[in-house]
Order: sequence, then structure tokens, then C-alpha cells
Amino acid sequence: MKKRLLAAGLAGAMALSLTACGAKEETAATTAAPAATEAAKEAATEAAPAADDAKVVVFWYDESDVYLGSVRDAMNKEFEALGITPDNQFAANNQSTQIDQINTAIAGGADILVVNQVTSGASDTAEDIIAAAGDIPVLFFNRAIGTDGSDVAVLEANSTIAFIGTDAPAAGHMQGKMIGDYAVANFDAIDLNKDGSISYAMFKGDEANVEAIYRTQYGLEDANAVLEAAGKPALVYFDAANTDCYQVDQGGAWSAAAAKEYMDTNFVSYNEANGNMIELIICNNDGMAEGAIASLQEKGYNTGDGHVVPVFGVDATDNAKALIAEGAMTGTIKQDAQGMAAAVAQSAKAIVDGTAPAEALAGLKDERFSLDAECASKLYVAYAPYTGE
Amino acid sequence: MANPVKNMQRTIAEYKQMSAKDQKRFLTDLVLNNALYILMAIFVIYTAVKQENFLTLGSFANLITQVAAYLPLALGIAGCIVLTGTDLSAGRAVGLTAAIAGVFLQKSDFANKMFQNLPEVSTGWIIVTLFAVVAIGAVIGLVNGFFVAKFSLHPFIVTLSTQLITYGIILWFFALNGNNGQPISGLSREYKDFVGGAMFRLGGVAVPRYVLYAVILTALMWFIWNKTTFGKNMFAVGSNAEAAKVSGVNVFMTTVLVHTLAGAMYGYAGFIEGVRAGSVAASTGLNAECDAIAACVIGGVSFVGGTGKISGIILGVFVLRIIFVALTMLGVDSSSLYIIKGAIILCACALDMRKYLVKK
Repeated sequence: MKKRLLAAGLAGAMALSLTACGAKEETAATTAAPAATEAAKEAATEAAPAADDAKVVVFWYDESDVYLGSVRDAMNKEFEALGITPDNQFAANNQSTQIDQINTAIAGGADILVVNQVTSGASDTAEDIIAAAGDIPVLFFNRAIGTDGSDVAVLEANSTIAFIGTDAPAAGHMQGKMIGDYAVANFDAIDLNKDGSISYAMFKGDEANVEAIYRTQYGLEDANAVLEAAGKPALVYFDAANTDCYQVDQGGAWSAAAAKEYMDTNFVSYNEANGNMIELIICNNDGMAEGAIASLQEKGYNTGDGHVVPVFGVDATDNAKALIAEGAMTGTIKQDAQGMAAAVAQSAKAIVDGTAPAEALAGLKDERFSLDAECASKLYVAYAPYTGE
Repeated sequence: MANPVKNMQRTIAEYKQMSAKDQKRFLTDLVLNNALYILMAIFVIYTAVKQENFLTLGSFANLITQVAAYLPLALGIAGCIVLTGTDLSAGRAVGLTAAIAGVFLQKSDFANKMFQNLPEVSTGWIIVTLFAVVAIGAVIGLVNGFFVAKFSLHPFIVTLSTQLITYGIILWFFALNGNNGQPISGLSREYKDFVGGAMFRLGGVAVPRYVLYAVILTALMWFIWNKTTFGKNMFAVGSNAEAAKVSGVNVFMTTVLVHTLAGAMYGYAGFIEGVRAGSVAASTGLNAECDAIAACVIGGVSFVGGTGKISGIILGVFVLRIIFVALTMLGVDSSSLYIIKGAIILCACALDMRKYLVKK
């Protein structure tokens, strides 16, 4: 009898979880309905959000990405202001899952697919998505759909698609210049062992991601260019045996954990006592910078008093801003989450209302946005250096 | 058994003879034993009411396409579960074989082609590649099976090790020839057509060729499981390895072969995976074994060992895919998806174990 009760209870719990999801759907529908009548009343006033039953499905590569989390918050609000309830889907960093989600959304009658592609830099995958979508417009954002110009060919061949992102090399250039300027100004303070050169560590977010590759390359190259111009020696990678000159998150998740683990391991043989301490840290994103700082702080550095090893990131997440305010982190590059969200939401709205994607992008009037010089269906959201308010 | 109608009539006749108390118990058992089907039916009806696009031909085509993609891995891993084991290396084996198949079958004029002097892609070369990756998958399975059988190691440990080793090889492979971990892209048109070319359209949605391949593989696995000595030995070893040994079954060979067969299935899964995603990345195949194992246990392939049916595995894969498609269409967020998936696996296994507990 007991066993039967247990089984019945389990079955009941399952049924409950199913209806629980249903309830959520219903509330969404009921909140949309009054909004619709309201909109009809206030149709004359432009500010009132007109309820829109357009089916906007947003596909995110992963739910746990910190920067995209802030983009998502902002984007949900932007869509809400436009009277659209977006359907957010998460692919858990798996391209096949995302393809399944996209096919299912197409079968479910989506009006626009807003895609944060998992396999960044594979234009074939983008072409498959576009082919599956047929007449349904596809708005790619954040993660580049092709390397070295192969995305432009795809964008120009398809009139139903557009891309909103950042100019991938720009963040690297900007970070490199920031590091160079900082190193020139504070050279002797950074050079802990006074050997006349600064040894650095580089943490790469993902081996295959275009942004990660450019940031890793230009973050260093541009910094060295600034140092050279000022007559200072170039940065030296701390581990002479590592010819890659970076350590990469092998899970491709740009994670703090990966950077922390690398730093903890690096500390075993590279520390102040041995006179070969890492003196400057460059990270592809703020998540990895946080991990590196956590490791430094465990060893007594970057805690407010005592020596601060300069750590640089990209994204300007809230955590990174807080670390910069505390003095534990030196600088980051602001990747404008709000701007990205606004650009995506507004152009998605224009596209479902019948505007061609390229025109929708051109219609965005904001100083934060700029169209690619060669391709009209590619929009960039500007970066900005950030070293504290 | 042979005649379902007669069977049903007999059951009804038996039911009428029972006392009131027995009748009640009979009905409760009936509901609990079929709880999964009943819940799925409710779920499907609910979704269909909420989302008119759910019960369309196009949606069905989408569903069977997904089932066909996930089925081979589940069919492979099921053998390991029948032996009371598991296989954690399946996902990475898919990743490695997908990468190798991708590199073998890149477009000849593709700028980032990893190996320039491979032959032009033709049907013959595609089939050579298919056999090559199936063989590579089989080798991974062989290593698993050998260590499990030879040293009596738990498959969890062995396959955890091969999972890590395989991932290491994947990372190394992706760094070859200046590729620097870039995704393998530029798959040739012939390869894409061979795997994902449309056979016909249902409600405007193309049904790819790998649906047919999945049907063929399922028939093959059904034959192996039910009609061969090897299949019968597998169930004997899974139920009771000692008893099987005493009855003259070569337990070592059976274990090795079950894992090798599973590995061959991973190789095939890898062969279609690259085309499905459009490109292969180092993370391809990550955690694929979790869905496969879940499908098996939902379908009644029990970790108790020695039990399981091919039809059950198909059912399990269908259940998981229906949940995915329906919840995606309903716009339910992914956190609930995981919770529901977990709850269903738990319920299915609890209900499954109930049968054994009642017997005792």
C-alpha cells in the first residue's frame, strides 16, 4: 500500500509540474489581453505600448553567460515596452539543441527568429538556419556568424536576415590600447621583480570563438605597440615553454572557474618568492578576470592594501565594475548590453511589422550604433573603455 | 498474446469475476502501470489545445526527424545498460567521430580545409568515411568493453576515463594543421545530401534521409537483440553473469562485443551529427549520453539488468522529444524543461522498479 501511495504521489507531482507550466502560459495570455484593449483605447498616443501578438523567439547559446544575462534582462524590458512578449530559448552551448529548437519554433509558427548562434564563426550553420527558416526573417546577434568576411557573403546573399553585434577586433584593439597606456604610465610599479620587463598572463574564453581570437591577438599586439612607441620593452609571456602564449577555457565557456584554476596552478611555480611572479593579467572577458582576481586575492594580492596586479577584462559587467571600484581590477571594455538589447528589440519589431531587415537596421537612430562600411545588413554596437566612474 | 482482442476479452472476463476489493486494486495497478502513457496523452492533448501548430504534419515531421537523430545513441547505450552498466564516453565518441567525418568530407575548394590532399568527395568516399568513423567508434567501445570485462571494473569508471581521453584527443585533433580549435565547417554538399537530403516533405517540412537510416538501424538492432545468440547471451549476462558463465556463455566476449557494438552506433551518430549542426565544434556531443541514458530508462531498459526492449527505447526517445517539442512550442522556459525531464525520468524509473518490488 505504501509503495502504491509513493508511486501515485510521484505521478501526481509530475502532473502538477505539467499544469504548473500551463498556468504560466495562461497568465502570459491574460496579461497580454488587457494590454490589447488598452492599446486600442490609446491608439492615438504614441507612447502607449501596443500589444503585439507577433511571435518573437529568441535563441540564446547558453543561459549562464553573464554578459548575455544582462543583455537578456534589458531585451525583455525593451520588448515589453514594444508590447511583445519574447519567447527565450536556451541551447546549453549545444548547436544541435539549438537547431532542434529553431525547427520546432518554425513548426510552431514563429514570426521572427532572433538567433545567438552557438557555433560562432561557422557560416555553414548560419546558412542551414536561414534555409530552414525559409521566408521567416532571421536576426542574428552577438555571436558572429562567420570568420574573416565569410559572414558578409551570407548576409548579402539573403535579404531576410541581418546581424547585430560588435566589431569583433574593436574590443581587442581598445583593450590593448588601455593596457599599453596603463603599462607605460605605471611601468615600474607593475614590474615586481625589477627585471625591466613585465611578464603577463592571457586567458582566452574559447578556442574557436572569433571574438576570443581577436581579443587574444590585439589585446597583446596593441599593448606592445603602445609600449614600443614609448620606448619600453614589450610584454613577456610568463611561461616560456607555452608557445601559444595563452591559457584557454577548454569548455569554451569563458568561465571564471577556468581562469581561477589556471591561476592557482600558475602560482605554484610562478610567484613572488621565486622572483617570476605574473605581473599583469589580460582576460578575454570579465568573468575570467573575476576568476583570476579570486586567485590573486587568496594569495593576498589585489585586496585593497598591498600590491595590485593589474587585471584587464572585457564586458563591464556589474561585478567587474564593483571590482574596479574596490581597486581589485584595473580596467575593462564596456560592451553595451543596453544598446545591444535596444538594437535587437527595435529592429525585430520593425522587421515583424514588415520592414526589410537592412532598412530596419538603417532606421535605428542612435549614436551607439553604426552600420558596417561594406554591408548594410550588419550593425555594430559601440564599445567604450571603462576604468571606473 | 497473439490475439489482442481475445486477450482483452479474457481480461474483462477475469475482471468481472473479481471481488470489489480486487477490482479496485486491478484498476489502480492498471493506471499506475500505464501512468507514463496516460500522462503523455494528457500532455499531448493539452499542448494541442494550447498550440494549434502542435498537431500538424509539419510538426510531426520535425518530431520524427529529432527522434531519428537521438535514437542511434540510445540504441547503442541500451546494450551497456542491459549489462547493468552505463557508458559515459558516448557523447565524446560522437564528438570525435563527427569531427573526423567532417574533416574527411570538407568541400575541396573550402579555404580552411584541414587536410588538403584528401580525395574529392564522392559517394564511395562518403561510404568509406562512414565505415571509418563507425570503426573508430567501435574501437572506443572495444577499449571500454575490454577493461570492463578483463579487470571487472565498473563501466562507470572505465567510460569516465575513456570520456576524458576521447575529449583530449578531440582537442588535440582540433588544433591540428593550424586549425587552432576552429569549428570544422565547409562540409561538402554531397555529404550533406547523403545524410540530410530531403526524402519527401510532410506539411512543407523536409524529412531527411537519416530518418530512413534510423529505421534500418532500429530493425538491425531488433534483429541482433532478439534473433541472435549474441543477443540472448547479452540478456543472460545482464540478468546474472555467474549463471550465464555456468551455462557456457562467454561472458568476456559478450561484454566486449556489447560495448563495441555500442561504440559503432556512436560512430554512426557522429557521422550524422556534423550535418545536423552544420559544423562540428570541440564541444559537439557534450553530454549526449545523458539524453540517451534517460531515453533508455524511461523506455524500461532497467539498470537492474537483463531487461529491455527495442520498442521501449523508441518510446523513451519519443517521450523525451515530445516533451522538448511541446514545451518549446508552448514557450516554457528551459528551467522548467529540465525539472519536468527530471521528474519524468524519476517517475518512470520508480514505476518500473515497482514491478520488481511487487514481485518480491
